[in-house]
Amino acid sequence: MITEGTYPHQFGGVSVWCDQIIRGMPGYDFHLVALVGTGSEPVVWDLPGNCSLTTIPLWGIPPASPRKGQRGGHRAGQRRVFPSRLVHRLIQALLDPPLLDPPLLDQAKLDPSTHAQSRFADVLFELFSYAQQANLSSVLSSTRAVRLLSEAWQDRWPHAHQLMPTVHDAVTALQLIEHCLRPLSHAPVQADVTHVSTNGLGALPALAAKWQHDTPMVVSEHGIYLREQYLHSPSLPYRWAVKELYLGFLRQLCALAYHEAETIAPCNVYNRRWEERLGADPARIRTVYNGVDPANFPMADREPDKPTISWVGRIDPIKDLETLLSAFAIVHEEMPQARLRLFGSPPKGREPYLERCKEMVTELGIDDAVAFEGHTSKVREAYQAGSIVALSSVSEGFPYSLIEAMTCGRTCVATDVGGVTEAIGDTGLVVPPRNPARFADACLTLLGDEELRRKYAAAARARALEFFTIDSAISKFDEIYGFLAARHPLPSVEAAQ
Amino acid sequence: MSSPPRATDISPESPRHRGVEELCEEFVAVCESAVHPLEIAGALEFDGWTDHALRNSFGASDVFTLAEVMYRRVPRRPAEPPPQPDLWRTTRWRPALHSLLYGSPAVCFTAAAGLLAGPGASTVVIVSLLVSWALSQGLAYLGYLRLGSGVPGQAERVLLTALSAGLTAVLAAISVVSVVASAGMPVLVFGVAMGSYMLGATVLLVLGAERQVLLALSPGVLGATAFLLLGRPSHLEHATWATLSATPLLAVGLALARTIRAVGPVRWAKLLSVTDVRKALPSAGFGLVAGGLLLFPVAVATPAHGAGSASALLALLPLTLSMGAAEWLLVWFRRRTQRAMRSTHNLRVFASRARLLLAAAVLQYLIMTMLLTAAVLAVVTGSRMLHPHWTTLQQIATYLTIGCSLFVSLLLNAFDSRIVPVIAGTAALAVEIACHIRRLDNQICVGMVLLAALAAYAAAVLGSAARHAS
Repeated sequence: MITEGTYPHQFGGVSVWCDQIIRGMPGYDFHLVALVGTGSEPVVWDLPGNCSLTTIPLWGIPPASPRKGQRGGHRAGQRRVFPSRLVHRLIQALLDPPLLDPPLLDQAKLDPSTHAQSRFADVLFELFSYAQQANLSSVLSSTRAVRLLSEAWQDRWPHAHQLMPTVHDAVTALQLIEHCLRPLSHAPVQADVTHVSTNGLGALPALAAKWQHDTPMVVSEHGIYLREQYLHSPSLPYRWAVKELYLGFLRQLCALAYHEAETIAPCNVYNRRWEERLGADPARIRTVYNGVDPANFPMADREPDKPTISWVGRIDPIKDLETLLSAFAIVHEEMPQARLRLFGSPPKGREPYLERCKEMVTELGIDDAVAFEGHTSKVREAYQAGSIVALSSVSEGFPYSLIEAMTCGRTCVATDVGGVTEAIGDTGLVVPPRNPARFADACLTLLGDEELRRKYAAAARARALEFFTIDSAISKFDEIYGFLAARHPLPSVEAAQ
Repeated sequence: MSSPPRATDISPESPRHRGVEELCEEFVAVCESAVHPLEIAGALEFDGWTDHALRNSFGASDVFTLAEVMYRRVPRRPAEPPPQPDLWRTTRWRPALHSLLYGSPAVCFTAAAGLLAGPGASTVVIVSLLVSWALSQGLAYLGYLRLGSGVPGQAERVLLTALSAGLTAVLAAISVVSVVASAGMPVLVFGVAMGSYMLGATVLLVLGAERQVLLALSPGVLGATAFLLLGRPSHLEHATWATLSATPLLAVGLALARTIRAVGPVRWAKLLSVTDVRKALPSAGFGLVAGGLLLFPVAVATPAHGAGSASALLALLPLTLSMGAAEWLLVWFRRRTQRAMRSTHNLRVFASRARLLLAAAVLQYLIMTMLLTAAVLAVVTGSRMLHPHWTTLQQIATYLTIGCSLFVSLLLNAFDSRIVPVIAGTAALAVEIACHIRRLDNQICVGMVLLAALAAYAAAVLGSAARHAS
């Protein structure tokens, strides 16, 4: 299994998911390949007994050249690759087709059969072969590489142009690509199946194993890796041409991983839209919903005395607490006895967001009715603290907080993002995101109708127990692993879903 | 409300019959900066637009199709990223402080002249300087390398191990040389103490603990200064030596305390690998060669010129002081070349700018060192501490060329070109030794050729943008 910046070095949804799978399948031996920053990050999860770990640092001191005879990356009869030619081909694959030119835009559509994609795949394979025997990092940071990229850019913008990259841009772009490609310098893992926990750089070790050992690969997806990279793009400290090259690399890599994967296993049906857009074959997509252990989330026995809305999560702008607070202000006006309790703490660096939310509460005049409860280790009690559970996010994969709340028998009001509608189905209310009025309406409907609440609660628990249990997720992966390891194609069941 | 809404019947708050134009306007910043239509699609979704809502409002089949239309419609006019924090910020007092730290031990030498009267004294002092310069250069390289990796505690770990190994090496080397040169115990102790101070102070400087170096230096420097100002009274000689000995003890003690505290319990075996030692070798070699070039005139001077007397080392004082200026100029060069990289679009233009900056840096170094030399001469000539042989124009010019060569070498080292300076320096030293054996005095010519060669090489290497990756 391959992770990037998550398990076992960080907490969060993807890490929970990895831990669940590895612990839930004691019959399998897992070898975890974790892509990390500098390699000095502490391991914060207790690794299960059936799991070994290799870390691949993307930053810090570059990997040393492999010693002669140590690696066997060279396939028999393969032609010798000259490093500068390789860099040239990489640059051409990343810069072409030029998206700036509108008439050419149609050609750039991400069809798996396009010339561009197969060219990218060829180059990446050659880079891998090269990195297995020689020092790829030094090739990508050479004077020659900078010159090649500079020339390619100058061909594209022969005249002064606002987008015209500087010398600094060329050096920076190559540095980024060098860091991204570091996984290719490591020896591919030998396994029966490679499972990539999120697409992106995590796909590199899987592609390497596929090329070297013909290992079948499964690509899972929580949020959409590429979409998250694009959303993050405005905060990157790079100029346009650098971003274009860097994100173009990631886009082509994600598309290639979808193309090469035997099975794509997103955690919700919603993700399919992006996957198919990037050229994934719909027949290979097999949705595996996240699951929870029902034993940890028993049916809540009684409701709080006052009508209460509970929210559980990370205090982060992506959760759009502004909408929740504005909506609650409306609820509070109609139903003065209503309460809002928020369980969770901001991740490092997001403390100002919490402060902003608190200021907003004061501005709205709902200080007495809103409580920031902070981080809680008793998540179950946090769900039970509410008559209903709310989720106002602007982006989600397949949120654990919803399926946990549903397992506890709590009705949810949530925004229509990611896999939320799939999770809730018709056991709660889903409203458009960033729309406090609609959100408030839905909350008032539920808070004011005990019978409806009870009906939904029972349905929610039934739905969660049927579809979103850890056992169901594990048995699906067990099946996928079994078929892939035996080199059988997976029977198509998605159509029936 | 008669019937509750169901999750499946979602519609936007009201059918917003707006044109795509309006949407482009709303998302103008995203569209202008987007590198691909998918980036706009991501932003639309993030803002709450679903396929369903877009179909109702714009008749677009999905988010992706609409994003492509928007990508085509809005031309790219990306905002420039905000200015990045300056990685090479430094204060002006730091290089000045470093100059002081490098130069002030000179007082201790002068005060310790009585200690170093015996046979073999100058040999021991020179060997001690060579060994400790070599070791401290290697040690500093490893330390900075680990500091650069950003892993807390790792630099301290490697420094602690290297310091322990270095102290052992200094002790062993000085002991052997003392026996061979039949030097007395005081000379041996002085040699070891000097080497230990260098290593301890290097560790502290790498860790940015200038104040602790200052603290370690103060007893020795203050004691020695007082002793000299009082006209070397013989009854205070032993007391002065006691204050001198406090300096290496403090430097090593503080360095050990600082590194051990940060290290915590670790397995010692993994601290210093063969790779580490191999990586540090060019830097150590550079320290050795630089020391050789600087000390050669002292080592070969005739006794009439004050050879054998450690006070001849005072001739090195201007260059020692100039190392503070060299550090500052190195940072200056980095900042200026970074700025040039961000403002040029053409590699050739950048190369010529970088070369101009290189020439400017060397020129500034030369001027600063000349000023320092003049200042030192003014003090030293007045107090008659230095034999006139060392203040001839030719001797000063020799040291200036060596100083400039070392500055260029330091620049090259900083840009990870460490082998050529060592080779060039070794060759120059070999020529100097060969000439000396043939009784030819052409140190200045060798110095100039070395400078020219290194400058030409630096102009070639530092003109490449790839070298300036930060």
